[in-house]
Amino acid sequence: MSALQTIPRISLSWLLVAQVLVIIPHLGHLPPWIIVLWLGCAAWRIQIYRMRAGYPNAWAKAGLIVAVVVGVLLSRGSLIGLDAGVVVLIAAFVLKLLEMRSRRDALVLIFLGFFAVVTSYLFNDSMLAALFSLLPVTALLAALIGLQQSALAAQPLATLRLAGGLLLQAVPLMLLLFVFFPRMGPLWSLPLPKDRATSGLAESMTPADIAELSRSPALAFRASFEGATPPRSELYWRALTLEHFDGRRWSQAGAAQLERQPSWEKRGASLSYSIIMQPNSQRWLFALDVAETGLEGTRQLSDFRLQRRQPVERVLLYEAVSWPESLRQMQLDAASLRRNLQLPAEGEPRSRAWGAELARQYPEAEQLVAALLSHFNREPYAYTLRPPALGPNNVDDFLFETRSGFCAHYAGAMVFVLRAAGIPARVVAGYQGGEFNPSGNYVQVRQFDAHAWVEYWQPGRGWRSVDPTFQIAPERIELGLEEALAAEQSFLEDSPLSPLRYRQLGWLNQLRLSWDNLNYGWQRWVLGYQSAQQLKVLQRLLGRIDSRSLILALVGGGGLLLGLLALWLFKPWRRETDRQQRVFRAFEQLLARHGLRRQPGEGARDFAQRAARALPHQRAAIMAFAQAFEAQRYAGEAGSPRQLRQQLRALRRALPWRLSRIEGEH
Amino acid sequence: MRVKLDAVLQSVNQVLLGKEPQVRLALTCLLARGHLLIEDLPGMGKTTLSQALARVLGLSFQRIQFTSDLLPGDILGTSVFDKDTGQFVFHPGPIFAELLLADEINRATPKSQSALLEAMEEGQVTIEGATRPLPEPFFVIATQNPVSQGGTFALPESQLDRFMMRLSLGYPGKAAEKALLLGDSRRNLLPTLQPLLDHRELAQIQAQIPQVRVSDALVDYVLRLVEATRTQAQFAWGLSPRASLALLAAARAWAYLDGRDYVIPEDVQAVLPSVVSHRLREQADPAGHGGGSLVQWLLREVSAL
Repeated sequence: MSALQTIPRISLSWLLVAQVLVIIPHLGHLPPWIIVLWLGCAAWRIQIYRMRAGYPNAWAKAGLIVAVVVGVLLSRGSLIGLDAGVVVLIAAFVLKLLEMRSRRDALVLIFLGFFAVVTSYLFNDSMLAALFSLLPVTALLAALIGLQQSALAAQPLATLRLAGGLLLQAVPLMLLLFVFFPRMGPLWSLPLPKDRATSGLAESMTPADIAELSRSPALAFRASFEGATPPRSELYWRALTLEHFDGRRWSQAGAAQLERQPSWEKRGASLSYSIIMQPNSQRWLFALDVAETGLEGTRQLSDFRLQRRQPVERVLLYEAVSWPESLRQMQLDAASLRRNLQLPAEGEPRSRAWGAELARQYPEAEQLVAALLSHFNREPYAYTLRPPALGPNNVDDFLFETRSGFCAHYAGAMVFVLRAAGIPARVVAGYQGGEFNPSGNYVQVRQFDAHAWVEYWQPGRGWRSVDPTFQIAPERIELGLEEALAAEQSFLEDSPLSPLRYRQLGWLNQLRLSWDNLNYGWQRWVLGYQSAQQLKVLQRLLGRIDSRSLILALVGGGGLLLGLLALWLFKPWRRETDRQQRVFRAFEQLLARHGLRRQPGEGARDFAQRAARALPHQRAAIMAFAQAFEAQRYAGEAGSPRQLRQQLRALRRALPWRLSRIEGEH
Repeated sequence: MRVKLDAVLQSVNQVLLGKEPQVRLALTCLLARGHLLIEDLPGMGKTTLSQALARVLGLSFQRIQFTSDLLPGDILGTSVFDKDTGQFVFHPGPIFAELLLADEINRATPKSQSALLEAMEEGQVTIEGATRPLPEPFFVIATQNPVSQGGTFALPESQLDRFMMRLSLGYPGKAAEKALLLGDSRRNLLPTLQPLLDHRELAQIQAQIPQVRVSDALVDYVLRLVEATRTQAQFAWGLSPRASLALLAAARAWAYLDGRDYVIPEDVQAVLPSVVSHRLREQADPAGHGGGSLVQWLLREVSAL
């Protein structure tokens, strides 16, 4: 193996460091046996370097590959797909260590490493993960630089510094590309890892589901308003409507009917806001009533929710405008009426009877609703996340026996009674309120803000929203879940370490809000900088958008940046002002490429003579240049640098094209 | 004219075998109107070199053997009362020669040494109130034994600075020494040398040497060298302007001997060791002897271009 082919020690060390850094972000979703494989391969590779072990032979390699394939099949059930693909990639990245004999192998490993860094973004696109990925990239760059150094170089930190410098120099170009490079639709769609979908509202609801959500402090979405943020008691974020009740569970009615055009009439003032939604693998978006959005591939359905064609699999930024005082659906067709009066065939006799009685007592729907709400308010109903168990007639049990529960119980029971009284009604599921972050001026809504409320319909007045929970626990609406559960101490009782539990500590809360604000900025301005957002920014920057101005901005900006960088690197203001000297430097560089370096104390003539001895075939050209230089520089002969340059050109032609090293010269 | 100079070199080299570089430097020094200090052990051919040079250049030659009891009057001359005329008549000393060999100068007392050195610097001597010019050309070759030898008064730095060059002849090579042993006595050879230049020609050459072209770039190199001796930590002190003038003059003469009418950095480098090594001391050893390693450092590290 020639000296050119071996892997320098620095490169190997950095490669091992880089490998650790590349694999760390993947640890969460890799099967444990990969870690064992990795440690084994690294130890083997180090032993190879120390000449205590040999490279694996073909049989050992084949065995390892079969073992990896079987391992992936066993742990992921397939060799394709994102999950399995990443495992295979990391396994290849690890196994290649054992095969790394020459520089070429090390190059393959380094580029595999870069690719593995990119795949980690598929699993985690948070700001911390992005910042962390700079570490493996720097280490990989250092390994790449170390690979180009001679085997004798022994300054790993200098290599690292150079790698860091290279990254820093790339930052302006990165920013330029980030801002201007057109975001194209994906050429193929990548199925995202399944374990990533977090909990959230589902298409059907039992009270237990909402109780489950109330325990989760995970972020659902963030919203920022143009202008003042409305009080939290007005923030009813609609997600979906549940019209079908089977006796235990509220669920959506057939989706086909929902896709008709809704009819509504804008009234009153509008609210503009933007929402950054966490991925939840569902198709509906969150919005206040009644919302319109310009987001592509999104429609308003007949129950006034916003629905996307694709499920939300990654952080999504959209803007919406709402008219809270709009009139909704003045006319209801027979099918809708039927759907919204539907009750299970049997059960809940007391509730049905009470509904019928209320209907007799209050012929006007408004009065009936008011009576119902005041009933909840007057009677000893309690708000709790730990309701007692309910029997088969759970509405009856809740309304007349236990009288304690939370939003889902109240909303479900109220809709049941309204329907029993002959008033079309439905449950709306979504989120209520949210925490206002004053430093970032946005509202963050978490899973425990999940809520259910009631809509009823009256001819000529359309759908109206009421919230029975407000009657029982107004603090839930006005202050949030934590206050509502203050007496019970059940708020986030499963997450003792969640910073949300320690909001009374001022500095901790400040820290938490600032950190959240940072993340919000990351999602809003970095992850959310997608086609629509980009278009807006570019329009502001460039005025008009067409492919020509975009290309011009991209190429011009890139050229300008590279030019500035080149200026900074080459420092032409420090350039040799002496033109003869400059030509001589070129002469030196030319000979340096052939392994002849001038010592500082070496004069032109001595250097030329040495060069002529080393390159006897080019003797004439070398000496001619040196004499011309000497004549101009020392003998005061008239002559221009151009003549020198011609001599130099002649020498360049005379020299062999290939770079050659001269033995014995250095 | 250069042909004649080549013949001069050749003649001297016939007498002093195997010392071409030193002979060339000695001639350079002479052409640049400098004085030469030859430092070596006894019997290395210092006197032979001086005499040979004097003969081929057609110069009158005088030799003063410096001893510890030598008085300034022995060098410069004294006035003696002439009974016949009733006046003091000046009897010039050996210094009134065109080429003076001051042998073993460091064996004399400082008082006698300085009598010679002042004459060298000024080109004239003042004796008993009368100023008398020294002949033209006037060239001193002083020899000294290495300082480590006993019974010597080392020349102080200020005196050393007056010599343009310091040379060391060194042992002859094997072949040269064999030829020396097989051949005639050097003393017998000397009278056979013919004068190759007359005074007029020598003066002409000496006048031409300041005309040798020194470009800006070259002066910059000399300045860089001098600057380095003044700023770098390893130098006990820097070179004086007299030293830089001497360096340039010697480089011109060297270039002239080489047949060029312009100076290149290689000329400066050729004369640099002999021109500056006796003027430099290492910071680590300021009382030491010469700066050979410092000169090597200058040659190696100071950018020539």
